[in-house]
Amino acid sequence: MSTHPMSARAEAQADDLGFGFSAMACECEVRIAGLGRRQAEPLAREAIAEVQRIESKFSRYRDASVVSRINAAAGSGKPVEVDVETADLLDFAAQLHASSGGLFDITSGMLRQAWDFKAGRQPADGQLAQLLPRVGWQRLRWQRRGPGQVGRIELPMAGMELDFGGFGKEYAADRAATLLQSRGVRHGMVNLGGDIRLIGPRPDGRPWVLGVQHPRHERALIARIDLADGALATSGDYERFFEQDGVRYCHILDPRDGRPVSHWQSVSVVAPACLAAGALTTIAMLLQRDALPFLQSQNVGYLAVDEQGGIHRHELWQQGESEAAST
Amino acid sequence: MQLNAPLGTLVLAAMALPGVVRADIAPEQGLVGLRFLNYQDSQPGWKRVTVNTPSFLLVAPIGSEWGVEASASFDHVSGATPRYHSNVSGASTMDDERKAGDLKVTRYFQRASLSLGGAYSTEHDYLSRAFSLAGTWSSDDNNTTWNAGFGHAGDKIDPTGGGYDGNVADERKRTNDFIVGVTQAVTGDDLVQANLTHSRSTGYLNDPYKALDARPSERRQTALLLRWNHHFTGDGSTLRSSWRAYNDSWQVRASTLQLEWVKPVGGGVSLTPLLRYYTQSAASFYADPVYDTTLGEPYPVGWNANAFNSLDQRLSAFGAFTLGLKVQWAVDELWTVDLKGEAYQQRGEWRAGGEGSKGLEPFKARMLQVGISRKF
Repeated sequence: MSTHPMSARAEAQADDLGFGFSAMACECEVRIAGLGRRQAEPLAREAIAEVQRIESKFSRYRDASVVSRINAAAGSGKPVEVDVETADLLDFAAQLHASSGGLFDITSGMLRQAWDFKAGRQPADGQLAQLLPRVGWQRLRWQRRGPGQVGRIELPMAGMELDFGGFGKEYAADRAATLLQSRGVRHGMVNLGGDIRLIGPRPDGRPWVLGVQHPRHERALIARIDLADGALATSGDYERFFEQDGVRYCHILDPRDGRPVSHWQSVSVVAPACLAAGALTTIAMLLQRDALPFLQSQNVGYLAVDEQGGIHRHELWQQGESEAAST
Repeated sequence: MQLNAPLGTLVLAAMALPGVVRADIAPEQGLVGLRFLNYQDSQPGWKRVTVNTPSFLLVAPIGSEWGVEASASFDHVSGATPRYHSNVSGASTMDDERKAGDLKVTRYFQRASLSLGGAYSTEHDYLSRAFSLAGTWSSDDNNTTWNAGFGHAGDKIDPTGGGYDGNVADERKRTNDFIVGVTQAVTGDDLVQANLTHSRSTGYLNDPYKALDARPSERRQTALLLRWNHHFTGDGSTLRSSWRAYNDSWQVRASTLQLEWVKPVGGGVSLTPLLRYYTQSAASFYADPVYDTTLGEPYPVGWNANAFNSLDQRLSAFGAFTLGLKVQWAVDELWTVDLKGEAYQQRGEWRAGGEGSKGLEPFKARMLQVGISRKF
């Protein structure tokens, strides 16, 4: 988990309830404050069900998911029709691809086949060269008549794959939080493995205190931020990586050469929606030295830790930040 | 999180996806407010009408999808208004009380809201009941909001002593009005709005206390309001400007130009100076204060008992300026105190785009209001 809501320890009130669960290969929590358990529990179940709905619909590890259906049809010459929600996310993916100069690419996930992060092995000779021709949003065919319409997608080559991992979790956090808001919840948060979307401030009106994990010390925080609404997401080179000859190889791969990015240990972004915050952290990691002007152009709060451990932050983050905790 | 600069395109694109953020959010906090208003108008050498109005306001969220707004006010009106033109000697005196209340219930949806409202007001010679239905819709990116509404009012007029002529009793007036509009965020700092309203009133539209007042029994009114609010990032101030163009089936054409500048000066205090200019042409049946030599006052030259006729200064051609200042102090997160003053003056010669009506005394008014409100 890259971001910890710290106030869980500070306050263990009867009307501040956490509902833990596992989804999308990480530890998750729906937190509802200001309501009694009898009211909060069915609401939390509803929010968790929404996260699970999104996971089973978009996970590429579920055979019945939309993404698996699209991937299974790769190279078959037959386009796959997708519903409005999937089409909205594909449009969003197209926009992320265009705005990042092609770096954010939901077809690039299959490059990880060449990297064995558990065993700490670099790709064999020629392995990347073999995979790269099947990577590239510009290679697939995506058609949609307009907003609110269904769409048709076709992966023209066998072995091409889509992966919604770059924003599926963040989208789920937003959807679950918005659902709780529409049910009248005014205080709480949805935390999916450190990607956090707030539902509102604490019941007394004070902001939540969120901590960002130190990218080199698993048990330490590098910064804290006070936040009453909006979302916080972090990407880092510490989530999956191996080191060889003093070089760190992380799981965030540049779709142009299939090799891990460097330059940032981690990037955290504060934005009104978790979907935006998560996508921007990934794009920032991929942009490497060009990340900060890009984040500034999106006018979001950020905290970026460079290769030497130096901290770069947006003024918004400084306003909201409490003193950094070292333990 | 409050940012003045516009959010980036990717942030907006994410927020536009269904279910990612809530667009139309019911008021998160409730508000109770008390206000006291004192109004007085005058003409040279003569204080006309004084109005004292305490009022009460309540805004309350009910869950996250419903909101209620209610207000109640109590006017005490005393003084006198002229029977015709700006004539001081022929004034009708009044000492009246008016009670008014309204209630509006709003249902908030993902990108829309729907409101149903009702209003009631009563004074000893007048009763008004109204209801309204209004809706808003926002675009996926929340940059555009459309609104539309319909309202109906039914009034009952039963003037003291039957009015000036002594024979007016139990008259009715009905009004239907429609509004459509659009609000567009042009940049993060600029908001523009256009609203078109049309209303049709039928029934008894005369002023029963005025001499020789005979107006058509129908009035169709159309107005276009254009607004532009600009936020200055440097000092946090906001300039609100608006222009309203109006015309009606009585041939009154009017324009209003208004500038308001909300300037925070620190310590939770903001100052809002206001300048408004209004100009109108006269109604087609308005008669100038030039009286028939045989019949004498108030009969105007060429008076015809069977034609429409009015000597009401409000239907003359004039121009008017309003200068105002509002001081608002946010004492803490919950309490707000405000003080507002406006001075108004209208004169025939201040009319723009044509000659003003002649022979009327300038008309002045001033308004003072103090208010206190608390969020809950």
